[in-house]
Amino acid sequence: MLIEITNMVKNYAIGTMEIPALQNINLRIEKNEYVAIMGPSGSGKSTLMNILGCLDTPSSGHYLFNNVDVSSLDDDSLSTMRNKEIGFIFQNFNLLPRLNALQNVELPLIYSGTPGNERRERALKALERVKLADRIDHKPSELSGGQRQRVAIARALVTNPGILLADEPTGALDSKTGVDIMRLFHELHQEGNTIILITHEQEIANYANRNIYIKDGMIHSDQLNTNKTLIV
Amino acid sequence: MQFDENVRLALSGLTDHKFRSFLTMLGIIFGVASVIAMLSIGEGAKREAIAKYQDLGVNNIIVREKTLSENELEEVRAKFSQGLSLQDAAVIKDIVPGVERVASQAEINTDVKYTDKSIKSTIIGVSPEFLNMMNYKAQKGEFINENHYNQKLKVCVLGAGVANHLFQYEDPIGKMVKVEDQWLEVIGVLESKTLFTETVGELAARDLNTDVYTPLSTFLNRFTRENLLSSQIQQITVQVDNSNRLLEASKLINEIVKRHHFNNDDYSIVIPFELLKQEEKERQIYNFLLGAIAAISLIVGGIGIMNIMLATVMERTREIGIRRAIGARKADIMSQFVTEAIVISITGGIIGVLLGVTLSLTVTLFTDISTYIKAYSILIAFAFSVIVGISFGYLPAKNAANLKPVDSIRYE
Repeated sequence: MLIEITNMVKNYAIGTMEIPALQNINLRIEKNEYVAIMGPSGSGKSTLMNILGCLDTPSSGHYLFNNVDVSSLDDDSLSTMRNKEIGFIFQNFNLLPRLNALQNVELPLIYSGTPGNERRERALKALERVKLADRIDHKPSELSGGQRQRVAIARALVTNPGILLADEPTGALDSKTGVDIMRLFHELHQEGNTIILITHEQEIANYANRNIYIKDGMIHSDQLNTNKTLIV
Repeated sequence: MQFDENVRLALSGLTDHKFRSFLTMLGIIFGVASVIAMLSIGEGAKREAIAKYQDLGVNNIIVREKTLSENELEEVRAKFSQGLSLQDAAVIKDIVPGVERVASQAEINTDVKYTDKSIKSTIIGVSPEFLNMMNYKAQKGEFINENHYNQKLKVCVLGAGVANHLFQYEDPIGKMVKVEDQWLEVIGVLESKTLFTETVGELAARDLNTDVYTPLSTFLNRFTRENLLSSQIQQITVQVDNSNRLLEASKLINEIVKRHHFNNDDYSIVIPFELLKQEEKERQIYNFLLGAIAAISLIVGGIGIMNIMLATVMERTREIGIRRAIGARKADIMSQFVTEAIVISITGGIIGVLLGVTLSLTVTLFTDISTYIKAYSILIAFAFSVIVGISFGYLPAKNAANLKPVDSIRYE
């Protein structure tokens, strides 16, 4: 079992009030699953993503990642966890504007202490995988939206993480480019990656094998996707 | 994250915002430059003073006749004082403990002539110990020795200024110069001495290079006193074996001479080393003040860095969030921002050092203030700027590191 969440609760303190964001979440995700987490805005799906991505810790309950209890980790260990096990892909790409594509992809390897030569080699390979080998010295501002998202995907892939965690990955793209990105996710899943998509669009969720609906901070439904959009 | 990555990152940050970086550095640049310039002026003054006192001998006590008016002179003679005499010198040598050498000198101010040239000079009759006691060196020929002295030979040693004026390109050694109605053979020329531009204690400022030295025995034999009331000699220079003894010895000398002169106040005692120490003390206060001003400007420079860094952290919240999301630890963010502050302050420090050195060279070039740049003052200024970078970069860096990744990654 890759991810095992039991009785997880997350509260936010606003002033003296405790606002519940997630209540009694139980969730298991196996290796090489392709999961979409859906829900309207304010449902708590972003909070769940933050916790899954080790950016935040639960208020109570347990989150086991590869049998490591994430809820008990300190800040440094969480950072290492994010570095080694989580590959983030954001709606607005979140690339560093002053760095070129190669440098952006190298960044996670810098924080893991990978030596320069190996870093460059692995970053090049990741960029090749997303078909951007000819754009390595372009700054984000010199790339199209789809290309930027592919750089971000390469950055997520470069550490060979346990999961790819994509938050509305097509939200800032036109539909044609969005389909290209979803095709890339499909291939990455075929190659053995575990992918978790966070989205509010049914159309995007339909690419995944399993759909989880969050509503009012609780899991409303969790079922296999019978309506899967096929990619040929 | 490795140190070199941080430095590379900080340098690219600097070059991406050249004007802003320059403004940030300005405080450090001026701070470091002023530290170096001020230290160099202080050091220059110190060296000048030391050179001046070294000429008078650091282990010497100088007993000198006071310049008195005709009336005052008549008055002290009426009160039985004979003025300074060889007898005073002999008693000092016999009684005062720790005295190594005593040199007496008699002086007249008159012209020295060679062929058709002539120069106003001070003719000084000295005992042979004199050269060793004062820090004088012969540039050519020799100084007066026991032989000249004992045989009362009519020889002289010229100050560099006199030799230059009278002989120019000629070799003065062996030539005869005329002083009053006496012919003296030149046996040596002294090295050029620093000018006395100000009085030392009660010694009047004068140009040592216009002095002409002759054996005291010859002097007393051949030259007449300026008037009948003049004392036999004008100065006694006493050298003690240890500078710790100077004060104690000078007290004793004062008592001896005072008694010999029947309590007449017709002489003064100058201790160059004590004056040097005193001057040093005064200068220390002055230097401290200069240093404090420079330090304040460095601190102001540091606050400038902190100010900009705090703004930069705000501006780069999102960048920090991204870095944290892909695995940067707090310590990585911290060291990134501290390194940036240090790179700014070191770059500013280097420019400041260059500016400071230029400044003090310019000061020497265009004014008569002498400056001297010691290597350690560059080191101090530089170390200071690094410390400023670390201490004023710390707070902004800590703020950056403590940003919550969840919040900062969504910061717009």
